[in-house]
Amino acid sequence: MAAEKLDLLILKTLALASLHGFGIGQRIEQMSDGVFKVTLGSLYPALQRLEREGLIDAEWRVSENNRRARYYAITAAGKKRLTAEQKDWLRVSAAVTRVLRTT
Amino acid sequence: MLKTLIRRLTEPFRAALLDRDAQDELAHHVGLAVARKVEAGLDPREARRQARLELGDPESTREELRAGRMGFRLEMFLKDASLAARTLRKRRAFTAVCVLTIALGVGASTALFALVDAVVFRPLPLPDPGALLSVYDTNLARSVSRTGITSGNLIDWRQRMTRLEGIAGYYTMGRTLTMGLESEVVLTSQVTEDFFGLLRTRAEVGRVFTPEETRASLFNSAAAPVGADPVAVLSHGLWQRRFGKDPAAVGQTLIIDRRPFRIVGVLPEDFPLPGRDVQIFLPWGIPKTAPRDQHYLSGVARLAPGASIREAEEELKAVASGLASEYPKTNEGWSAALVPLQEDLVGDADRILFLLLAAVGLVLMVACANVALLSLARGLERAHEASIRLALGAARGRLVAQFLAEALLICAAGGVLGAMIAYAAIALLKDTASSLPRVQEVGVDPRALLFACAVSGIATLLSGLPAAWRQAQAKPSPDLLGASMRVGGVFGRRTLRDGLVVAEVAVSVILLIGASLLVRSYQHLRAVDPGFDPRGVLVAPIFLDMAAYGGGDKSRVYYEALVDRLEALPGVVSAGGATALPSSPLGPDFERPVWPAGGPIDENAKDHAWVRMVTPRYFETLGMRMTAGRAFDGREGPEGAPAVILSEGLARRLWPGSDAVGQRLMVDYSTAGTYPYEIVGVVNDVRFTGPRAAPRQEIYLAHAQRPYLVLNMAVRTSGDARYLAPAVRKVLHDLDPRKPAQGIHALEDLLGATYARDRQAMLVAAAFAGVAVVLSLLGVHGMLSHHVRERRREIGIRMAIGADRRHLLAWVAGRGLRLSLVGVLIGGALSAALGQGLAGLLFGVRLNDPASAVAALALPLIGFLVSLHPAWRATRIDPAEVLRAG
Repeated sequence: MAAEKLDLLILKTLALASLHGFGIGQRIEQMSDGVFKVTLGSLYPALQRLEREGLIDAEWRVSENNRRARYYAITAAGKKRLTAEQKDWLRVSAAVTRVLRTT
Repeated sequence: MLKTLIRRLTEPFRAALLDRDAQDELAHHVGLAVARKVEAGLDPREARRQARLELGDPESTREELRAGRMGFRLEMFLKDASLAARTLRKRRAFTAVCVLTIALGVGASTALFALVDAVVFRPLPLPDPGALLSVYDTNLARSVSRTGITSGNLIDWRQRMTRLEGIAGYYTMGRTLTMGLESEVVLTSQVTEDFFGLLRTRAEVGRVFTPEETRASLFNSAAAPVGADPVAVLSHGLWQRRFGKDPAAVGQTLIIDRRPFRIVGVLPEDFPLPGRDVQIFLPWGIPKTAPRDQHYLSGVARLAPGASIREAEEELKAVASGLASEYPKTNEGWSAALVPLQEDLVGDADRILFLLLAAVGLVLMVACANVALLSLARGLERAHEASIRLALGAARGRLVAQFLAEALLICAAGGVLGAMIAYAAIALLKDTASSLPRVQEVGVDPRALLFACAVSGIATLLSGLPAAWRQAQAKPSPDLLGASMRVGGVFGRRTLRDGLVVAEVAVSVILLIGASLLVRSYQHLRAVDPGFDPRGVLVAPIFLDMAAYGGGDKSRVYYEALVDRLEALPGVVSAGGATALPSSPLGPDFERPVWPAGGPIDENAKDHAWVRMVTPRYFETLGMRMTAGRAFDGREGPEGAPAVILSEGLARRLWPGSDAVGQRLMVDYSTAGTYPYEIVGVVNDVRFTGPRAAPRQEIYLAHAQRPYLVLNMAVRTSGDARYLAPAVRKVLHDLDPRKPAQGIHALEDLLGATYARDRQAMLVAAAFAGVAVVLSLLGVHGMLSHHVRERRREIGIRMAIGADRRHLLAWVAGRGLRLSLVGVLIGGALSAALGQGLAGLLFGVRLNDPASAVAALALPLIGFLVSLHPAWRATRIDPAEVLRAG
């Protein structure tokens, strides 16, 4: 999965609720009906990148299994980016779909 | 925003922590995945295997995250730095001004730091220097707060003190060193038994004195060596200068004051006591019958392990009061005090240094404020760039980092240049401020360089943050045509800039007021009448030695011949000598009890006077005035009735309202007994140690009646005294080739040296104030220029609709005046609060001296004049052009 797509999905996931890394992976798999499988090697570098750009924020909390976990939340800048990219993606993907459907 | 910035800046320092966090996080993820699968009914081992297959290897992810952190930092930094370097290269003038400003600030503060570090902070180069103390005698009844100790008491102290590991005495004087055909006067220190032991100093070559050598080495009352088989230890400097560091110097023989001394050792190069100019050390055995009333030894002691200085001083005072009751005749009223040696050597030089360090800190602040102002102004020009970048999706943090990177490059360059400036400044300081203690130890060393780095770092933040902060506030521009340029005064924008300008002016005012006070103080010092006329007077201290001139009349004959020959020199008006001469640091200077003959004798109420032996035309030569009676005129032969001349203050004190001339004065001159002297004259008071000290009570005895081996010769000429030095040197050589003078100086230079510290403080403070004023005026100018540029459009429109140019001029320049006035008020108020720190250095000036008010108010005036330039430029804006551009 291309990095930008994963970024977009993470932002979308976090726009709905703050989650820890495992939760994010689960949600993405659920929402995509199992199409996207998230590995550690793709998820965490993406989270690091997004946090750097100030699009998401992280804090340590206690998770459901009573252990220390890092919870991620979307920032205002992240929401803005999400809206912009979402629009872009929908436009592009619709266009791609149109092109592909052309016979 | 700020949080992100701080987090990012601190990241390098938290690497280990962040790595551990990542490990935790990944483990947590895998743990949850495994737990899910176990819940679904899988065997734990199988669950772990599957999780691992699905999720990938946590360790390699951790590696990747770590690399991400590192790579990000490095990559971002390089990107920022190269972009910053490109932008700076494009604006050469801006960059040069900023770098120079920072370099000045860093250079000045580093030089001063190196000075303060060497003089005040660095411990003495001796083992465990914190336990070393100076010992002084005190006598409250006579208001003597610190004076030399006596050899007699030293012996008892050494036996009775338990809280001091050792006490030693030393005495420094000039002696003639003869090697081959050449003679020179060198400073020598004779040191008692414990001296090197308690300082824990070992010889670099050979050895220091043995106790036997010390005990066998005796001196007579004129401190001339009389012991058998005399030995000496050389300073490193003399060894280098005269022996070329040849280890074979040990064992050779030196002639000191016409007696052979065997060299037994050489001291290490950095040996600091009593001073670096002392070149030869002699052992000094003190006999049991040593006097208890001659306070001329310097004392040094080391605390016993575990003892505190307060405890030791208590014990010493108890011992002293015990001695006072055992020997009331000599010790009544005398006590002793201890002072940490380091503090004692530095004296009160630290106060002035700290003040200057504070001043240079202020200059640095002004420098940073100026760079900040310039960057802010540039930030304004680049607001356009910033808003485009933001609109294109740049994170604000990146913009901030960009500006900080520019500041960092400027300050790094400024720091390097500043270190070079500091290097040059210190070389200059060593030449000009040689009066400072330990100044020869000053250098740009790693500590100073570290300081320069730290200062540059602080400068980066101070000068870079305002502009960076401003960038963080920038708005992504909705239209990219530069509309943001046209926005008029945005509140936050102007307050920040105005605040910086006001702060700059305030700081400059503080410096200006301080400098003006020091200048006034120096003027007052120079205006003090020293009581003698130094112009055209040459001073040559002569130290005759006991071996050739001791006993009988030999020194009187020598000095009479010397005066005759000196006066025979062409251009010489008169010549005379005194055992101690004002402003000359050399020669015996002691005080003895005096009282009117036949008057009531109350031991404790006796006055004390400083005693000088003088030759007949001494007063005339120094330009002193007889206020009553006559000067010595040669009638005072060895057989005549003992005569004395009093200083005016003493005469007035002993015979208030009546004539002292013709009265008789008792002088308790310990070695020669106590008897009456006839008062033949009264001479005006002199300020003996410089203009700051009040005149002392002095008595002058005729050298012919009381011959002395040491005389400071003074020669008055009609022209420049300095040209006479070679002729004087030749006279001395003709008379006795083995008796050169100990340095020949113009009395004006000697007197100047007593002002030297005030002069240096004044010059440095004035230089700092000048730099700060120039910088803050540049700040005012730059701020207004940008103000005008920023409102170009508004001004153009105003002019287009008929605004008066004069009005416009007043509008811009008035703003400069207003800001400088606010700065002056704040600076004035602050200096009133800070002024106390300066009070101790001032002479004859009060903190509310009108000159400082004038200096402070001159600043806004100049500020106004400076702001006329941007104001004038505002009136040159062409409305038509602005409107067309808009």
